[in-house]
Amino acid sequence: MSDSATIALQTTNLEVGYKKNNQNHVLFEPLSLALNQGELVCFMGSNGIGKTTLIKTLAGIQPPIAGKVTRNYSTAIVLTDKISGSLMTVRDLVTYGRYPHLNWWLKLNDEDRQLIENAIRKVHLESIADKQLSQLSDGQLQMAMIAKALAQDANILLLDEPTAHLDLNNRVEIMNLLRLLARETNKTILVATHELDLALQTADKIWLATQDKKIVTGIPEDLVLDGTFDTVFQLKGFDLKTGKISHAPYRKTLVQVEGSGPEYLWTKNALERNGYELEADAPTIIRILTLSDKINWELTHNNINTKFNSLAELLRALRN
Amino acid sequence: MKQNSVRLALLFLTTGLVILFLINISVGSVSIPLMEVIKALFTNTGTNADILWQFRLPKAITCVLAGSALATGGLLMQTLFRNPMAGPDVLGLTSGSSLFVATLLMAGRYGSSIGNLVQNPWSVAFAASLGGAMVFIIIISIARYVRDNTSLLIVGLMISAATSSIVSVLQFTSQADDLQTFMIWMLGSVGSTNWYELTVLGIVISIGFVISISLIKSLNGILLGESYALNLAINIRRTRILIVITTGMMVGVVTAFCGPIAFVGLAVPHLVRLLLPTSNHKTLLPAVMLGGAMLLLICDVIAQLPGRTQVLPLNAITSLIGAPVVIWMVIKAKRISV
Repeated sequence: MSDSATIALQTTNLEVGYKKNNQNHVLFEPLSLALNQGELVCFMGSNGIGKTTLIKTLAGIQPPIAGKVTRNYSTAIVLTDKISGSLMTVRDLVTYGRYPHLNWWLKLNDEDRQLIENAIRKVHLESIADKQLSQLSDGQLQMAMIAKALAQDANILLLDEPTAHLDLNNRVEIMNLLRLLARETNKTILVATHELDLALQTADKIWLATQDKKIVTGIPEDLVLDGTFDTVFQLKGFDLKTGKISHAPYRKTLVQVEGSGPEYLWTKNALERNGYELEADAPTIIRILTLSDKINWELTHNNINTKFNSLAELLRALRN
Repeated sequence: MKQNSVRLALLFLTTGLVILFLINISVGSVSIPLMEVIKALFTNTGTNADILWQFRLPKAITCVLAGSALATGGLLMQTLFRNPMAGPDVLGLTSGSSLFVATLLMAGRYGSSIGNLVQNPWSVAFAASLGGAMVFIIIISIARYVRDNTSLLIVGLMISAATSSIVSVLQFTSQADDLQTFMIWMLGSVGSTNWYELTVLGIVISIGFVISISLIKSLNGILLGESYALNLAINIRRTRILIVITTGMMVGVVTAFCGPIAFVGLAVPHLVRLLLPTSNHKTLLPAVMLGGAMLLLICDVIAQLPGRTQVLPLNAITSLIGAPVVIWMVIKAKRISV
């Protein structure tokens, strides 16, 4: 991202919220935020803090209480709202993306059709484009909603928890897709999400809603290192700086592990999970031997060498 | 749905409608063979022609207009509430119209100026439309607070019950001959419209159809919910107002001239979706119009008890067909949607 990044969306002293009994409930301090073109921003914060309200206000479907939102481009949204019409097919849903450009008779021209098919291809739903929405899995439905937003051909995409209720595989697929869209098509993307690990690994920038009604922004690594995440999420047992669940060693045995690559990482994981502490010159040594796709572990303890075919066997031997 | 199968289905419905129309005008207390019907329509002389032009044609055209208007009203309401159980009679629109028509009928006694109004089909149509639209507005304001299907249905039933009881009070204070007129009207009939009333019916329903068709895009948009629709530049507020006016108008005018006809509005959209599994109103709307007309023509043929002189009340037949549809819908509720 160059410094001369163009601003796609900007808020000036924006106050969002809702009216209840003739009183304004403002959810955040006045916000002055900006989204740059080609940027993937993850918007994080605890449940009920007002992420959906802010997204709807940014999209212009809910009026702000004060201040203003400047959108330099058209905006497409993906929300958590339930939609009716289970007889609708994926293609029908994606066609909605063209509605702002269609007349009352919904006549599609070649360009509209092209954009619809491209959007379906982008989310890899070609094979089920004529399936009804009621027959889709949650992940496929979410992909179809994203395709609808893509068919709108808008430069700004605002997504409210697109990965909620999905399994890890689908979550990763969606985040990867969004990252790709930001990179390749220079779209500006704001995603409200709870997926801390995914956000840290994919976002260009994080918007973090804090308990004192502010939104802190920055690149993920800075926010991790300066402890902002810790104060917001008050993480219990998750060590953000290593990106892992923290384990307190509860066995006395110190071990050293020789090896590299994923084998080393997962061996370390297995040992730490089981309460062993890793140390560089411990007397108990585990060597990882990778020979023609086969992994073996050699344990040296009291000068006796034993070989194991799996980590489970190794752990069993270590315990005794 | 593929464009070709949509065309085929619409062609099938149109052909069905024409055939049913011809069957409808050929049966009755005197059965007129189809060839005679066609001959009489063109020559316009003889007893058969009299029967056709004075009784059967107005009745069949009323069936077509009323059936498609009620079914369209049902579809619009199901889409607006995003609720498969919505319909003009279930949610009390027809009761609202009944109340206004009853008030007008009974009030006619007390003043000659109002008496003239009762004689004028336009004023009856207007009163009925107003009644329907008013109930619709009440239901819409309540629907903001009740989100689930069953609650909305119960609210509709309650409003129906309330308006019906006001009608009962009116009946209690009215005179015997008014009461009889009213009771017969309540049973539903498509056989009592004259050509002038038919013109009123035709004009009002045509306006309703034109507005409905102009709303195709917005109706589709409503299916996605308000937020998505706004993002797609669809004016939900205007659409909602137009749906209320259109449905109130169409259901009202049908109720005014044919009585409160039950179940057509609720059942037809679902029956049509069985044939044409789509939620695109560009397809649904014309199909529902054709389907509604067909259903009421069938019901009327059955009500004629071909070959006999008695005629069954129309509402009995529509209910006989409609009730199983509703039960089937409740059983399959998980798969039924708008």
